Amino acid sequence: MVEAKIKINSQTGLHARPASLLVKEANKFKSNICLVKHDKEYNAKSIMSVMSMGATFGDEIIIRASGEDENEALNSLKSIIEALKD
Amino acid sequence: MFGFFKKSKEVKIKSPIKGKIINLCEVEDEVFSSKIIGDGFAIKPVEGVVYSPVEGKVVQLFPTGHAIGIKTKEGLEILIHIGIDTVSMKGEGFTPYVKVDDKVNVGDKLISFDLELVRQKAKSDVVPVVITNMEVVSELKVDFKDSNVGDEVAYVKLK
Repeated sequence: MVEAKIKINSQTGLHARPASLLVKEANKFKSNICLVKHDKEYNAKSIMSVMSMGATFGDEIIIRASGEDENEALNSLKSIIEALKD
Repeated sequence: MFGFFKKSKEVKIKSPIKGKIINLCEVEDEVFSSKIIGDGFAIKPVEGVVYSPVEGKVVQLFPTGHAIGIKTKEGLEILIHIGIDTVSMKGEGFTPYVKVDDKVNVGDKLISFDLELVRQKAKSDVVPVVITNMEVVSELKVDFKDSNVGDEVAYVKLK
């Protein structure tokens, strides 16, 4: 299992558009991937789950991946979240 | 093997807002029009109140109150997203009446919003109603018409 902490820098947070980008990318990988906010895990491959996290500007979340392609999954999702702009 | 005898489940989705039911492909946002999030329909609203289209549980309410997700007991997940690019309004004009984990019945008041403000500030006032877990759906039929709150507007058959 690998994980990374990341801060949401987009003013509007992870809602419909960014969340759908993220979920689309997460589904390219075989690994189990979750996002963690306030110790609660959310499935990165489910749009409703990602939106229910309610991640907004300034929130720190953790990306957690486990499986055969966990490193690629982690790096790819990390760069998507880092690149989020409004 | 008993799955063969199981009656397939269905969900009837009622109109959550008074307005005209339109095709998702007419929504001015490709996240919805290209059905990346899921399939369903959209409403051109004439009133700023959203009522529950199904019986279920609130699973998602973004902090800004501009979108809500409900999961039915059959396992269908429905997202109601008020307006396009309304996330940037940061909650101004949106009043939720429920919270995450609340049980809701058809017709329960979910969110009220300032329709005029949405028309001024957002890209569009159209409200996509989208099934976000289409993998459980085998059939979806939508009745494109002018609808009142509570009218049956979509029929969903589950796998």
